[in-house]
Amino acid sequence: MKKNMLTGICEEIIFSNFFKSHAKTLRNYLLYKYGNEEQAEDVTQEAFIKLWENCANVPLEKAKSFLYTVANNTTLNQIAHQKVVLEYSKKSPGSHLDSQSPEYLMEEEQFKVKLQKAIADLSEAQRTAFLLHRIDGKKYHEIAEILGISVKAVEKRLHGALQELRKKIDNFR
Amino acid sequence: MKDDTMLARWLNGELDEKELKAFMASPEYDTYRKIKEYSAQLTVAEADMDSLYARILDNRNKQQKKVRTLSPWLSRIAAMLVMALGITYFFYTTNTTTQLAENGQRNEFLLPDNSEVVLNAGSKAEYRSWNWEDNRKIELDGEAFFKVAKGQTFDVVTDLGTVTVVGTQFNVKARGDRFDVTCFEGKVKVTTAKNEILLLPGESIAFEKGKTLDAPAEDGAQPGWITYDTYFAAEPLANVIAEMERQYRIDIELNAQVENTYVGYIPMNDIDTALELINTNYHLKSEKAGNKIILTLE
Repeated sequence: MKKNMLTGICEEIIFSNFFKSHAKTLRNYLLYKYGNEEQAEDVTQEAFIKLWENCANVPLEKAKSFLYTVANNTTLNQIAHQKVVLEYSKKSPGSHLDSQSPEYLMEEEQFKVKLQKAIADLSEAQRTAFLLHRIDGKKYHEIAEILGISVKAVEKRLHGALQELRKKIDNFR
Repeated sequence: MKDDTMLARWLNGELDEKELKAFMASPEYDTYRKIKEYSAQLTVAEADMDSLYARILDNRNKQQKKVRTLSPWLSRIAAMLVMALGITYFFYTTNTTTQLAENGQRNEFLLPDNSEVVLNAGSKAEYRSWNWEDNRKIELDGEAFFKVAKGQTFDVVTDLGTVTVVGTQFNVKARGDRFDVTCFEGKVKVTTAKNEILLLPGESIAFEKGKTLDAPAEDGAQPGWITYDTYFAAEPLANVIAEMERQYRIDIELNAQVENTYVGYIPMNDIDTALELINTNYHLKSEKAGNKIILTLE
């Protein structure tokens, strides 16, 4: 029995809510992947447009998986992968630093810069998993869904990322 | 076994007390602690999600608009054209060719794949020439001799059953309640409501009212009627007379009760000999009355 009214994600309210829940993460993920803001936004847009075009065939519970599958398979512009620019939030809980010595503070600043550089040198697989956890606060099973891998694989990537980061930072000395 | 997930579990706060103590005692722990702390402070440039959403909606509206810009007049013409094409195509593909052989006549013709068909008198055949090679199916009412060219299966469909062949020569007779098939060359499969039988050269099958008959087969490379020497495989006299009427284009009235069936040949180009054979076999005598021949007991 065919219903004539729009159902599921074809309905604008549902689509809009879905967008609000998932668009930012998708765009950030793509940004970690490509390092290019424009590319990340374009692919995000394309993925949502494709989702809308196929809304009649994609049940709501499969929509996220559909979205990421399209996004991961979209090769729009052949922009070479660049290094994603990360910044430290100004609102960080750094109150304990105020009571420290200037030398200590300078060392910490240097560490933070080394960390930024080391993250940029990570492989795409490790970098995307790491940043989705640290910046977007995604749980391991969520990261697994986004990357299309198992939770165990996510753990391996994060373990590997931390190892790499430590090695690089300690070698910077 | 190498532990390649320990750091991830630590990051997630999943290490048990023992593991955690051991890790915290290691020299690298300090670096890891700082990595964990500072990486949590990282941010990435924010995107304008509202305008991104607006662009997506815009795209959807554009798609819908595309459908609406076709003017109603133009779409009416298009619809009529499509219908006209569809109807023409329909007639073209379902167009059947009909071949007839009147009484006293026969009709020899070729099918699109050069298969030969000889229609006996008082018979009709119908087939669709479109896409013939992939669908060789011919409907027969009456009798015909087939010389089928090599190719896909070839079906002769009658009211009494279907004959399926692959590159053979065979005869099919479907008249009234009587269904006869004789294979002269190749293999022939005969399917009726109740039976399925495969015929080899020299074999034949006969059904009377759906019942299989034990009827002797014809000899030769083709059916006798092709050379006007028609063979009857245990058929009632009424059937023999009906065939004579078709061949000679005369009326024959049988005013006698006869039981035996006829097995043998009757000429269809020599009425006198034909009548003589009938009379001798059934102890009858013939009389001419105008355009009719009346048969009575001797």
